[in-house]
Amino acid sequence: MFARFPALLKLAGLGAALVIALLFAVFVGDQGPWYFAWVVGTVMIVLISATGAVLFEAQNSEEHDKNKETQP
Amino acid sequence: MDLINPHVVDLSRFQFAMTALYHFMFVPLTLGLTFLVAAIETVYVITGRRIYRDMAKFWGHLFAINFALGVATGLTMEFEFGTNWSMYSHFFGDMFGTPLAIEGLMAFFMESTFIGLMVFGWDRLSRPAHLAITFLVAVGSNLSALWILIANAGMNVPAGTHFDPDTMRMQFQSFVELVFSEDAQAKFVHTSVAGYVCAAMLIMGISAFYLLRGRHRELALRSFRIATLFGLISSVAVITLGDVLGRMDYAKQPTKIAAIEGLWHTSNPPYAPWAAFALPDDAKQENHFEIGIPFVLTPLITHSFTQPITGMHELEDQAAPRIRSGIVAINALKHYGDTHSSADLATFRAHEDDMGFGFLAMRHSPNQDTSAITEADLERVVHQTQPDILPNVFATFWAFRIMVALGGFFFIFFAFSTFFSLRNQLESNRWLLHIAVWAIPLPVMATEFGWITAEAGRQPWTVFNRLPTFLSSSSHTVGYMTFSLIGFILLYSALIVAEFYLMFRYARRGPQDHTSHDTTLSGLHNAQGGHF
Repeated sequence: MFARFPALLKLAGLGAALVIALLFAVFVGDQGPWYFAWVVGTVMIVLISATGAVLFEAQNSEEHDKNKETQP
Repeated sequence: MDLINPHVVDLSRFQFAMTALYHFMFVPLTLGLTFLVAAIETVYVITGRRIYRDMAKFWGHLFAINFALGVATGLTMEFEFGTNWSMYSHFFGDMFGTPLAIEGLMAFFMESTFIGLMVFGWDRLSRPAHLAITFLVAVGSNLSALWILIANAGMNVPAGTHFDPDTMRMQFQSFVELVFSEDAQAKFVHTSVAGYVCAAMLIMGISAFYLLRGRHRELALRSFRIATLFGLISSVAVITLGDVLGRMDYAKQPTKIAAIEGLWHTSNPPYAPWAAFALPDDAKQENHFEIGIPFVLTPLITHSFTQPITGMHELEDQAAPRIRSGIVAINALKHYGDTHSSADLATFRAHEDDMGFGFLAMRHSPNQDTSAITEADLERVVHQTQPDILPNVFATFWAFRIMVALGGFFFIFFAFSTFFSLRNQLESNRWLLHIAVWAIPLPVMATEFGWITAEAGRQPWTVFNRLPTFLSSSSHTVGYMTFSLIGFILLYSALIVAEFYLMFRYARRGPQDHTSHDTTLSGLHNAQGGHF
C-alpha cells in the first residue's frame, strides 16, 4: 500500500493537472477564444517544429544506412 | 488653462514614436526566440542528442543578448508616459497603468527570474526541469507582451471603462471586459505570432549563412528545419489574425480602416476595387495614380459582397453632429466642475458619448475654449474640426501595404524553404540560402510597419473617440523636448549599435564545433532503442 503511494500521488497529480487544463480550456475558450487559439496554436507550432527535427534525424539515419549498404 | 503648443505635441509624438520603434526592434525577436529555443530543447529531451542541447544554448545566448537590450529600451518608454504624456496619464492612467503594473510585477519578474536559470542552469538542472524553465521564460516574455497589448487595446477600443466627471478620469468598470476584449485578444495573438516569424527568419538566416560558408553544417541544417516549420505555421497565423483585426477596425475604428484602404468615398459593393497602389493626398483629400483590383475590397474587409465601407468624406459628415454635441458636453462638464449642479451633470451625461469630439473642437475654438464659441462661430468651428477626425492617410495606407506585402513574401518563402528542407535539398539551392540571409531584417521591418499602421491609424486620438492626442501631452517647452529627443536618439542608437555588434559577433563566431558528437548517430539510436 505504502509502496504504491508515490505512484498514486503522481497519478492524482497528473489527474488534477488534467482537470485544471480542461477547466482552463473551457473558461478561456469561452471568454477569450483567441487567447485559447494562441495557447493551442503555440503548442502545435512548437510540436510540429520539433517533429520536423525528429524527421530530419530519421532521414539522416536512413541515408547513413543506405551509404553503409552501398559501401563494398 | 495654458494654450497647447502644437510643436511640443509634435515633438512628444516624434519622441514616443522613435522610442517605440527602437524598442520594437527587440520585442518580436524575444517573443519568438524563446519558443523556438523551447522547440529545439524539446527535441533534445526527446532524443537525448547533444547537438540539440548545443543548439538550444547557442540560440538561447542570442535571445539573452536581445532580451537585455530590449529591457533597457523598454523601461524608458514606461517613464515617458509620465514625463511627456502627463495629461494622458491623468485621464487614462487607471486603465493604462493597471496592465502595465501587472506586466512589471507578474510577467517581467517571472521572465527575468527564470532567464537566469535558463542560461546558467544547464549543468544544474535535469533535462525536463530545464525544459520547463525554458517554457516558463517563453510564457513570461509573451505574458509581458500580453499586458502591454491589453493596455494598447484599451487605447484603440476602450472597453470596461467609464468617465468620471468628478475626477475627470476614465475609470474601471470591468477589468475582465478589458482583458478579454476582442481587440486585446486579436492584437496579442497577431503580435506574438509575428514575433515567431521574426525569430524563425533570424535562425534561418544565420543557419543559411553557415551553410553558404560551409561551417557548422550539422547545426545549421537542423536549425533551419525547425525554424522553417515554425515560421511557416506562424506566418499563416499572422495573416489570419491580421484579417480578424481588419474586420474589427471596420466595426469599431472606421476612420482607421478607411485610411488603411485610402477610401475617400463610401464603397460600392460588390464592385468596389481594392487600391493596390495609390498616392493619397491628405491636403486635397483624394488619391493620385490609383490602381485598384475590382471586387476585392468588400469581401476582404467585410467578408460579404453586400456591406459598404464608409468613406472618409462621409465619416467627416457623420462627425459634424457629434462635434456639436461634444461641445455641449465639454461646456456642461466645465460648468459642473464649478457648480456641481445636477442639471449640468444631466446635460453632460446626455452628450457624454461625444465628449471626445468636443475636446477635438478646442483646437479651433477662441483661445482653445469651447465655452467662448458663439452661435455665429459654431459652424466654422465644426467645419474646421471635421477633417481633424482623420489620421494621416498617406502614412497609414503605405505602412499597411508594406506590412502586407512582406507578410505575403514570408509565407511564400517559408513554404519554399520547408519544401526544400524536407527534401534535404537546401545546399543545392543556394539562391534560397542567399535570400534567407538577406531576409533577416524584413520581419522586424514588417512588425514596425504594422505598429505604424495601428498607431498612426488611431490618430487623432490617444484614447479612441475620447481623448485627442493634442490634449494628451505634458506642458514642456520646445527646448526641453528637443534636448530630450536628441538624448533619446543618441542613447537608443548606441544601444542598437551595441545589439547589432554583439549579435553579429556572436553569430559570426558560431557555436562550438559539433563534429565530435555528430559523426555517429548513436545518441538517437540509443534514445529511441535503435528504431531510427
